[in-house]
Amino acid sequence: MRVRRLAAMARKEALQIWRDPRSLLIALLMPFMQLVLLGYGVSLDIKHVPVCTFDREASQNSQDLLKHFQASDYFTIAAVIGNYGALTGAIDRGVCRLAIVIPPDFTQRLSTTGGAVVQGIVDGTDTNTANIATGYAQAVVARYAAGARLEASARQGAIATIQPVAMQSRVWFNEDLESRNFIIPGVIAMVMALVGAELTSLTIAREWERGTMELLISTPVTPMEVMLGKLAPYFAIGLIDAALCLAFGVFWFGVPFRGTLATLFLATALFLVVVLGIGYLISVRVKSQVGAAQIGLLVTILPTTLLSGYLFPIDQMPVPVQAVTYLMFARYYVTALKALFLKGAGIVDLAAPLAAMALYAAAIAFLAARAFHKSLD
Amino acid sequence: MSAATAADAPIVVERLVKRFGAFTAVDGISFRIDRGEIVGFLGPNGAGKSTTIRMLCGLLRPTAGEARVAGFDVARESERVREHIGYMSQKFSLYTDLTVAENLRFFGGIYRVPAALLAERMRFVIEMAGLTGREEALVGTLAGGWKQRLALGCAILHRPPILFLDEPTSGVDPESRRRFWDLIHNLSSGGITVLVSTHYMDEAEYCDRIALINRGRLVAFDTPAAMKRDFPGGELLVLECDVLGAAFAALEAAPGVRDVAAFGNTLHLLVEDREGAIAALPGYLADKGVAVARIEPVAPTFEDIFVQLVGRKEAA
Amino acid sequence: MFGRIWQIIVKEFLQLKRDRAQRWRLIVPPLVQMLIFGYAATFEVYHVATAVLDRDQSLESRELISRFAFSDRFRIVEVAQTDRQIRSAIDRSDATVAVVIHPGFAASLRSGDTAPLQVLVDGTDSNTALIALGYLGTIVDRFSTDYAADLARRGGAAARAAPVNVEFAARPWYNPDLNGRWFFVPGIAGTLTLMLIVSLTASAIVREREIGTLEQLMVTPIRPAEFILGKTIPFFVVGMAEVALVAIFGAVWFRIPFVGDLFVLLLGTALFLNSTLGLGLLISTICKTQQQAFASSFLVLNPFFTLSGFGFPIASMPTVLQWFTYINPLRYYLVVIRGTFVKGIGLDVLWPDMLAMAALGTVLLAASILRFRKSLD
Repeated sequence: MRVRRLAAMARKEALQIWRDPRSLLIALLMPFMQLVLLGYGVSLDIKHVPVCTFDREASQNSQDLLKHFQASDYFTIAAVIGNYGALTGAIDRGVCRLAIVIPPDFTQRLSTTGGAVVQGIVDGTDTNTANIATGYAQAVVARYAAGARLEASARQGAIATIQPVAMQSRVWFNEDLESRNFIIPGVIAMVMALVGAELTSLTIAREWERGTMELLISTPVTPMEVMLGKLAPYFAIGLIDAALCLAFGVFWFGVPFRGTLATLFLATALFLVVVLGIGYLISVRVKSQVGAAQIGLLVTILPTTLLSGYLFPIDQMPVPVQAVTYLMFARYYVTALKALFLKGAGIVDLAAPLAAMALYAAAIAFLAARAFHKSLD
Repeated sequence: MSAATAADAPIVVERLVKRFGAFTAVDGISFRIDRGEIVGFLGPNGAGKSTTIRMLCGLLRPTAGEARVAGFDVARESERVREHIGYMSQKFSLYTDLTVAENLRFFGGIYRVPAALLAERMRFVIEMAGLTGREEALVGTLAGGWKQRLALGCAILHRPPILFLDEPTSGVDPESRRRFWDLIHNLSSGGITVLVSTHYMDEAEYCDRIALINRGRLVAFDTPAAMKRDFPGGELLVLECDVLGAAFAALEAAPGVRDVAAFGNTLHLLVEDREGAIAALPGYLADKGVAVARIEPVAPTFEDIFVQLVGRKEAA
Repeated sequence: MFGRIWQIIVKEFLQLKRDRAQRWRLIVPPLVQMLIFGYAATFEVYHVATAVLDRDQSLESRELISRFAFSDRFRIVEVAQTDRQIRSAIDRSDATVAVVIHPGFAASLRSGDTAPLQVLVDGTDSNTALIALGYLGTIVDRFSTDYAADLARRGGAAARAAPVNVEFAARPWYNPDLNGRWFFVPGIAGTLTLMLIVSLTASAIVREREIGTLEQLMVTPIRPAEFILGKTIPFFVVGMAEVALVAIFGAVWFRIPFVGDLFVLLLGTALFLNSTLGLGLLISTICKTQQQAFASSFLVLNPFFTLSGFGFPIASMPTVLQWFTYINPLRYYLVVIRGTFVKGIGLDVLWPDMLAMAALGTVLLAASILRFRKSLD
C-alpha cells in the first residue's frame, strides 16, 4: 500500500465527482429534496379527520356530545346527515372518514347500566387513520361522559360520582407525539443509504464504459488502493451530507437532538462504510452504469424504507419478517439515530446496534476488497 | 542465443497462446526483442496483436506458453512487470473530464515519480506533445493528434525501459502520425525498447524489426530491408488501365502472371519475368478490350509482402 | 400507417423478449415489494411491550393489571419492583409502555375517590404511542365502568345512581378487521406501475437516441406520432400485465377481496397508464443519455410516490403539498383501485378521479408529442 498512489486515486476521483453534474445533484440536491418531501409529506399525525354526524335524537344531550366533537382539533364536521342512505354515500364518496351515529334513545339510556352507545362508522380502507380516528373518538366520548357525570351528580345533589380510575399519562422522548420527530432521523438514514450506494455504484462501471480502466490496471496501483482511493471522497461527501441533514432537521424542522455529535459521527461513519462498500461491490459486479444504478437503488431504498424500522415498527411485524430485519444494515442505523435524537442515548446504550454495524462494515469491506481484479478477463 | 543474452532481453516470448472459449486468438507466438529496438507488430484487425500486447502487460492471463518482460514472468509476477512498463491502449484511455495537467499529475502519482522530478517530467511531456499553454484544458476538448501525444507522454512519465503501444496512430492524420513516429525514434535512441502494433503497413518502414502477425500466428520476423530483399515469388509490376475489372479477370488467367492484386485504382502484378511481361501484357490486354496506360516495375510495399507471405503460408 | 406502428410494436416485444434482465426486473421486484409491504408494512398496534409496577398489590390493582395482560394489544414483558426498573425498561426500549399503580389505589376506589393510574409511554414512535394510548384509555375506561356498575349493583337502591356512561362502539366498514394489507397491497399496483412504466418508457426511447437508431428510424417514412404509438403500446400492455399480476397475487395470496366492478378498474387502469406513459415520454424528450433518463426519472418519481396518499394520508400534508397531489395521477388511481377492491364503489362515485386522470394523461401526452417533434429537428 503506497500512500502516494492512494492519494492520486482519491484526488482524481474527487475531481471527477466535482465535474460531474449528476454526482453533484445526488450528493447535494437529493438529500435536501428527500428531507423536504418526507419531512413535510410523510406525516402520521392525523388531524382534522372529516366526520359526518347523524343525530337521531336531536336532544340537548346529543347536541352537547356533538359539540365536543366540533371543539376537538382532531375532527372537522364535514356534513350533517339525516338518513342512512346519505351516510353510506358520504363514506363511499370519501366525504368523511368517520360517521357518528347517535341513537334515538340516547338520553334515556345514559343512566342505565351499560350506558348509551354511540355508534362510529369508520371507513376501514385506510387502516391507520381508522385506528387513530377511533381512538380519538373514544377519547372525546369519554370526556363528554365525564362531564355529564359531574353534571348529573351535581343536579342530584349526591356525592359527586366520579370516574373511579383516572388515567394520567406522560409521554417520554417525543412529548409532542410529532411523527416528524421520529421520521426525520429515519430520513437521514435513507438519504445516507441512497447517496452512498447511488454515488459509488457507478464508480468502477464508469471507468470500464469510458475505457480508462484498461490503462489504470496496467499501472502498479493495487486493488486496495483503487478501492480506498475511490471511496475516500464519497466518504467525505457522506459525512458532509449527514451534517447538513442534521442541521436541517434540527434547525428547520425543530427535531430535538439530545445525543452527542461524537456518537452520531461514529454511527454514521460505520453506516457509510457499509453502504459505500455495497455500492462498490455493485459497481464491480455490474459492468453497465445504468444497470448498476438501478440495482443500487433497489438494494438501498427498499430495505431501508420498509424493513429498517424507520416507518413501520419492527416489533409489529410478523415474527419471520422480524428475523429478516436483523439482516438489514439500515435497521441498526435507524435504531441508533432515533435513540440518539430523541432519547439522548450514548455509546454504551447503543453498543448493540453499533457492534452489529461494525460487523457488517467489516464483512462488506472484506468482500469489496477482494472483488476487484486487475485483469481484462 | 546464449542463456545470458536471453535473460537480458527486455521482452522474451515463448509459444504464447491465448484462447477465449473455443476461439484461439494467439496461437503459439515466440520472439525476442532486444534492448533499444523498435519492433512493429503488423497485421490486419483481429490478428492477435492487441491480445499479445495485453498479455505482455499483464492484463490477460496466457492460456499457455511463457513470456518475460523486464525479466519478470508476466503470469506470475505481473505486478513487477507493471512497474517497468509504459502502456498506450488501443482505445483512448485518459480521463477526458480531467485537464492535461491533472492527468499527468495523476499518473505521476500512480507511478510514484518523485515530486521534484515530476515537475520536470511534466514540462518535458507537455512540450513533447506540443501542449504548452494548454495544461489546464480538459482532455476531452483536445483533437486526435494531441490526445495521442499526451497519452504517450503519460506512458513515459516514469521513464519506463519498455513501452507497449497498441495501435497508437489509428484514426490520426498522416502529419500527426509522422510526428508521433519521430517521438518514438527519439525515445528509442535513448535506450527505451518499444513494441508498437499497427495496421498501417507503411509504418513498417519506421521499425527496426517487424513481426507480421496473421490469425494469431507469427508469419515473419525480420528487418524491413531483409523482408523486401527476400520478397518471395517474383517481380512486382504496377499497371494502370481503363477498365480495372476486366483487366483483373484477364490477368488472373494470363501466362507468366503469378498473382494480381488491386491497389487503389491500379493493379499490382507478380510476374516471373519482368521484361517479358512489360513487353507482352499490354498487347494481351488490348485483345481483351483493355487499354493499358502504364506498366512498370515497382518496389514492394509491406502490403505486398504481407499478402504474399500470408498467401504462401495458407497455401502451405 | 398501422403497418408501421405494428412493426415497431413487434420490434419492442422482440427486444423485450431477449432482454432477460428486463424480464426479471418486471417480475421479481413487484413480487418482492408485495411480499414486504404485505407482511412488514403495518401501522397496526398489537402486543405492545408493557412494563408494570404494582405497589398496591390489592385485589383491584391485580384485576386491572390482568385486563392489560389479557388484552392482545399489550404484552407484559416486565414486572418491575422499583421506579428505576421502569425507567430503564423504557430507556432501553425494552418496554414501550409502563403502567404504575401507587399504594392506596384500592383504598381510593373503595372510598369513592378517584384513583390515579400512572402511565408512561415512549413517544419515540409517536404513531404507535398514540394508538397505544388510545387502547390504554379504553381498557381503563372499561375497568372504571365495570367497577362503578359493580359497586352500584352491590349497593342496591340506596347507593348512588349508576354513573352516566357513554360507550363508543366503532364499526369499520369495508375492512372490518382493519387489515393493513388491504390498504397497502392494492396501492402497490399503482406505485409499482408508475415507477416501472415511467422509467421503462423514458429509457427505451432515450436508448434509441443514444445508440443512434432513432436517427435511423426518422429517415424512414415513419411519422413521429406513429413512432410514439408504436413505442408506448407495448408498455401499455406491460403495465396492464403488471396491474393484473399485483391484483391476482393480492387476491390469491393475501386473500384481499375484490368487491367492485372489473370494468371500472380496467378503465381506471387504462387512464392511469396513459398518464404514466405521457410522463415517461416527456422525460425522454429532455434527456440525451440513459444516465440522465434514469436520474430524471428518479427525481420526478420521488415526489409523485411520496405525495400520493399511498402510505401517508394526503389530509395530513401541508396545504401546499396537498395542491401538488392534484396533478399526481397516482393520487387518483389509488382512490380507484382501493375503491374497487375494498369498497366496491362504482363510476358514479369515481368519475371525478377518472376525469382527472384523463385530463392529466391528455396534457402529458400532448406536451410530450409536441416536444418530441421539436427535438427531432
